[in-house]
Amino acid sequence: MAIETEPGTTQHPGGGQPAGGAARRPWWMRPAIHTGLIGAVIGYAFGHWLGNLIASGYQQVGTSDQNDTAIVLGYLFMVIGWLAGLGVFNDLFKQMAGRRLAEAENGNGPGGLAQYFRFHLDHKVVGIQYLVGMIIYFCTAGLLAMGIRTELLSPVHHVFSSATYIEIVGEHGTMMMMLMTSVILGPFGNYLIPIMIGSKRVAYPRLEALSFWLTPAAFMILLSALLLGGFHMGWTGYPTLSIQDTSGADAYAFAFGLMGISMTLAGFNILVTVICYRAPGMRWSRLPMFVWGILGTAVMMALAAPVLSGGMYMLLTDRTVQTAFFTDQLGGSTYLWEDVFWFFGHPEVYILALPGFGIVCELLPVFTRKPLFGYKVAAAGMIGVTLLSFFVWQHHLFDSGINPDMRPLYMLTTEMISIPTGFIFLVGMGTLWKAKIRFTVPMLFCFAFFFNFLIGGISGVFNSDAPADVTEHGSFFVMAHFHYTIMGGLIFAFMGGCYYWLPKMMGIKLNEKLGYWHFWLMFLGFNSTFMPLFAVGWLGQPRRVFEYALRLQTLNDWVSISSYVLGFSILLFVINFVWSTVVTRVRETGNPWESRGLEWQIPSPPPAYNFEHVPVVLSGPYEYGSEGSEPVADLNPPVGVLAAAFSGSETARAEA
Amino acid sequence: MAAETQAATPAAKAGGPNHGLRIFLIWIVLALAADLVLWFVLGPHIPPGRLGSAAQGQQFDNNVMIAMSAPVLVLVLVYFTYAIVVWRRRPGDDADGPPLHGHSRIQALWITVTSVMVLSLAAFGTYELIVPYGAGGGEGPSPIWNPPGAELTAAAQQRPWAPGHVLVVQVIGQQWRFTYRYPGLGGFETTELVLPVNTMIQFDVTSIDVIHSFWAYQLGVKADANPGVDNVAYTKTQHLGRVTVRCAELCGLWHGAMFNYGKVVTVPQFQAWASSTSVALADVTKLLPPYSTTYDPTEIAHLGPVLQKLGLTGAGGGYYPPQDPSQP
Amino acid sequence: MAEMTSAGPAGLSRRQEEEAFYHEAALNATWTGTRLMIGILVSAIGCFIFAFFYLRSLNSHNDWYPAGFTGPKQWQGAVIMALIVVSALLQSAGLTQIKAGRRGAWLGAATVALVLGVVGGALQIWQLTVLPFQPGASGFASVFVGTQPVIIALVLGTMIWLEILLVRARGIPEISFVEQPPTFAEAADVQRFQASLSALTLFWNFVALTELVFWVLFYLIH
Repeated sequence: MAIETEPGTTQHPGGGQPAGGAARRPWWMRPAIHTGLIGAVIGYAFGHWLGNLIASGYQQVGTSDQNDTAIVLGYLFMVIGWLAGLGVFNDLFKQMAGRRLAEAENGNGPGGLAQYFRFHLDHKVVGIQYLVGMIIYFCTAGLLAMGIRTELLSPVHHVFSSATYIEIVGEHGTMMMMLMTSVILGPFGNYLIPIMIGSKRVAYPRLEALSFWLTPAAFMILLSALLLGGFHMGWTGYPTLSIQDTSGADAYAFAFGLMGISMTLAGFNILVTVICYRAPGMRWSRLPMFVWGILGTAVMMALAAPVLSGGMYMLLTDRTVQTAFFTDQLGGSTYLWEDVFWFFGHPEVYILALPGFGIVCELLPVFTRKPLFGYKVAAAGMIGVTLLSFFVWQHHLFDSGINPDMRPLYMLTTEMISIPTGFIFLVGMGTLWKAKIRFTVPMLFCFAFFFNFLIGGISGVFNSDAPADVTEHGSFFVMAHFHYTIMGGLIFAFMGGCYYWLPKMMGIKLNEKLGYWHFWLMFLGFNSTFMPLFAVGWLGQPRRVFEYALRLQTLNDWVSISSYVLGFSILLFVINFVWSTVVTRVRETGNPWESRGLEWQIPSPPPAYNFEHVPVVLSGPYEYGSEGSEPVADLNPPVGVLAAAFSGSETARAEA
Repeated sequence: MAAETQAATPAAKAGGPNHGLRIFLIWIVLALAADLVLWFVLGPHIPPGRLGSAAQGQQFDNNVMIAMSAPVLVLVLVYFTYAIVVWRRRPGDDADGPPLHGHSRIQALWITVTSVMVLSLAAFGTYELIVPYGAGGGEGPSPIWNPPGAELTAAAQQRPWAPGHVLVVQVIGQQWRFTYRYPGLGGFETTELVLPVNTMIQFDVTSIDVIHSFWAYQLGVKADANPGVDNVAYTKTQHLGRVTVRCAELCGLWHGAMFNYGKVVTVPQFQAWASSTSVALADVTKLLPPYSTTYDPTEIAHLGPVLQKLGLTGAGGGYYPPQDPSQP
Repeated sequence: MAEMTSAGPAGLSRRQEEEAFYHEAALNATWTGTRLMIGILVSAIGCFIFAFFYLRSLNSHNDWYPAGFTGPKQWQGAVIMALIVVSALLQSAGLTQIKAGRRGAWLGAATVALVLGVVGGALQIWQLTVLPFQPGASGFASVFVGTQPVIIALVLGTMIWLEILLVRARGIPEISFVEQPPTFAEAADVQRFQASLSALTLFWNFVALTELVFWVLFYLIH
């Protein structure tokens, strides 16, 4: 449904016409976050009214005293109102009315702080929006995790009621799993991919901006579940529990489904951009590893997230119009949900791993001052993970009774995925060979990534083994495993990326001293939190419980206290972020890391349209240490080079 | 493993210390030590113990994987530590490192070794899954890996049990209790899990409301309890002891409180317990729906009073109103 | 698109050169994006097809399509499917007309295609209100009721796209479809329009195929 706007076909890239009439109106008349909120309120009121009108006579509503139809329609129209208020549909309506679009998409809009509160089409603005958004979402969900650990301080004395506890667990898990999918692709992918491939723009700026503006909606809707009684089925939302649950489950399903759409759009835009907008000379063999990582992520997002949205939609129809997709006695099956959910759910965890691979592969050559060891192996590893990730989902269901005779197959595919994952270690170790390692903060995070992901990966082999998984499934062992891969992998890589790329994105370097403190507290706090949880799980503590065996209290207390240290380290990061970007603002406009990356060859922060001229890429990004190697790109190519490249591609197309 | 050739080739070309050989030597000493300690000292204590045959199989599996992964872990850690210590930039040295783009023999070796390891682990896991009859995991309603004497139909399961035969125990999950039904011993339903020793147990796990997961920790059994599905899991009790049963799938507000304890007793003790319980629960058993591999909650709504008699105040087979959960 | 070379790339200024470069990229993006979007939607729709076959093969409690269950009316399904398929075929035929330089013929065909598509979508909405069964009456009923709104959204969404192209076509002089327009901007306009139109036609045929597949599933094999 998104494609009909066809933004790519209606803009003149590079066209510098002044912004349309919209820019001349006073600020409060122009669409921005405040009009979006007004639209959301109106939309919710309308949708709720409509739902009551339609469904108040339903027997289901009468007996349960809760009208899920009204709530879901309320959310639906709320999102529509929110987007309409932000001005998302303006261009669509203009096109439907046959008017031409203003071409102020890329850096031509009103600058300053205000642009970050608008539906803005510059990929750099969207990247910053994503960055701030993701930090907010991450901290919210992280605070919820503190709540979980606080409750688990004691097996007998309770801080929360069992209902509140499960709500917190569900909110934490869902928020992390749905929003952190974009934690690297959103900020760094959107901001840096076009620059890294030498493009002045992305393929679908409207879809890209839309993908961001759906995330605050999903975030708020998910949080609003607490107002509706919360949801009590964790992030996996297994029916029939999710069908019998309170209206909070509507918020869960709606928010998650919405985020599925956001992921799809974000992945779609990145894919088309990388395929079609690479600068001349940017061959596939010269693509930075970060782009490869994000490319794999985008493929998984584009193909797996629609299935998630489909599943969430089925859950919503089960809860509203009383279909019976997941009700066994009426011809449905809970297995259907488990299959559909995990068909998304497993690519999802690689969506959460690949960008991390990309970042460490990107950073290692810079700080070891060596070329990346085995470029093709690294790229093959990422492609291999991407492909295999679609064929492993039933390892989440080893004990469920679904296709038990297929377990050897899924065990095989799951263990096979550790081969391409192992490539990343080969690449990392090879790159370190006789290197001249510079221990900057980003490099420390890379080292931590390898350490954490090693443990996460090896514990994953235990989980993939069907017999051993019988004990580990559903226990804290699994919980520790995926926190090692996601938090220890993805979030550490994200932090490394922040320290590495913020000078590029904001022209400001984060405080280094605080950075070291942040790193060491986070690294030690993280390992001290999650390492004991392997033991806790092995000793028999299931996930999502608020009461556990007394003998496990020491371990649990250790974990809880460590988790506060971990939380404090994130707080340090936030303080550093705010302190450096708002208060001290130490300018850093050059190339502080002496990187060969194309993104570092232009000023920081990058000017409108990124490049003055479309660059011509001359060599790979990791040619460190070679005497007389060519510069990475010619930023000011002579006239005619571009046309030659372009007509070449055209002839090739005409022949094809 | 991979370090061996890393030892030989790149270092030999350059002068100076043979980094590869050093790393290899450190690695082989540490890896050997780690494996010996892990296998002989930690190994016998690795969960989930040896009460059930499935548990023992899982313990063996875990130990094999620990023994295989420890050298890998040690290799990577030794390598990284070595790199951090030896290959750090010296102050004032701003030069780049050697331009190594790759090394095809090392790459090929790495890929081969990891592939062989992974494939052999998969083969090993498959063997360990099939031979012990599904290794204690839920195998669905018609398991293809089942022990001799397995009873897969409701009619066969109701034939009187005799010592030495497979004992069928039906596990019924409901918010937030497990109850156990013994079809071969008169079909009574109880909240106690009592099992005879040295007997192959067949758990038929099902649910009457939401998805639970029956986790008998010391027996090494975990099987999801799905509404409308009979999920079968096998284990053989190997000695006397206590069994912790927990629900391992989030099933609502009191999921955390959904646990109880079972025990493995001698065969005569078990028979005595079964006959006395059967008598004590005779009037309850009469009220129960006829034994079946699955139950439909809408058909057994009248089960409420039965469950109360059994000392349950849970859902009673119906959907509970989530607004006011009752405390178990 | 071969007209571009006739302008002679070497004679372009830097700015023209870059515009041409990104114009080319945008045309490629339309081509790539449409195919990718179809892949994405196959994934989304595959979710429902999977649900169909999964529940059908499980047939839990014999409630997939129980005896005595009345499905949706055969004629309704046939009419809706026929409307959409005919609309897609008309649009495909119209595409060959406009490629041959006859804008008027395409305008006519596309307008009819638009009407047929909208009517088809509207009929599906109406059909949902007069179904002879409850949404939860059976597994089949669930999949049917759940899937229809998705297809409706697809159909109507594509019709918005078609409407945009119809309006846009009016702004392009007919002669531009016959011979090379004088300026780069005009040529680019036409090319973008044509790329979008080809993409739409492919997409609309995909939607019609979806409609056809679900017609077979819901009305023939259930």
